[in-house]
Amino acid sequence: MVKNALMDKSGTHGASGGCQCGAIRYRIDGPLGRASICHCRMCQKAFGNFGAPLVGVPRANFAWTRGAPATFRSSAPVARGFCRDCGTPLFMQEDGDANIELAIATLDDPNAVELVAQVGVESKLAWFDGMAHLPRETTNENNPAAAGGRYRTLQHPDHDTEHWP
Amino acid sequence: MTTHATGGCQCGAVRYRIDGPFNNPHICHCRMCQKAFGNYFAALVGSLKENLHWTKGQPSFFRSSSIVQRGFCRDCGTPLSFAYDHSKHIAVSIGSLDDPSAVTPERQYGVESRLPAFAHLHELEGSRTEDDVPPEMMAKLRSRQQPDRD
Repeated sequence: MVKNALMDKSGTHGASGGCQCGAIRYRIDGPLGRASICHCRMCQKAFGNFGAPLVGVPRANFAWTRGAPATFRSSAPVARGFCRDCGTPLFMQEDGDANIELAIATLDDPNAVELVAQVGVESKLAWFDGMAHLPRETTNENNPAAAGGRYRTLQHPDHDTEHWP
Repeated sequence: MTTHATGGCQCGAVRYRIDGPFNNPHICHCRMCQKAFGNYFAALVGSLKENLHWTKGQPSFFRSSSIVQRGFCRDCGTPLSFAYDHSKHIAVSIGSLDDPSAVTPERQYGVESRLPAFAHLHELEGSRTEDDVPPEMMAKLRSRQQPDRD
């Protein structure tokens, strides 16, 4: 069921990830757990989006390897973590839960996750189900400036770095 | 198209108002938007920069590339805005609108980075919050989220 991003020489499953600016990086030593998307209004607001994509990982297998996230307590028992320097939503953590729920696209390889459910569907936005059929454009078609010489990404690469930036 | 819309971050420290029509509602799959939003894609809707007013607090900005600034709340992290330096337009995140159902995306950009799971998100088995969260937990939930109004 669970695919894994990385497998080191000893056969241990693992993955890495972090925020857009690279101030915060994390490492998972072990398999990725249950993954789902949540449509609830709290997740919509926290992620500024349709909702949240989250994958559970045991805290025991998880470590911050660079920097530390800021947190906002969005309800009495739930803390949400983010990067104070670039805003990337990073995780949701319920008090007493042995798992941390990571924002899937903060993984260096978001494809390592296999989604199994959507929750909070009482708040699902009407346009969600039809998105895949919207007219398509690539980034360069949409943005001539990005195709030209002026564009330089300042996003952290999708792997760990010794020094950044 | 709406001529007045309000929105803001989850904690309520930053609020905005758009006076004028929405422009180009879309989703974007590019890896920059995925990372900035921690999500499969960004959902954004534009307005003229002159029509967007920050009515409470101010966002922080991260320059994700040499030509783009992304706004977010420093207190709760909500991704709020995206703007090219050279553009007359700024986009706000649809989920940060007080009424996100008022906007329907019309295009998808950045399809070169579209994740394989994306096309199947709506096929996942669905459940309602009250089916997953026991009543005693719901009772403890006490939201600290800004209500969907000024």
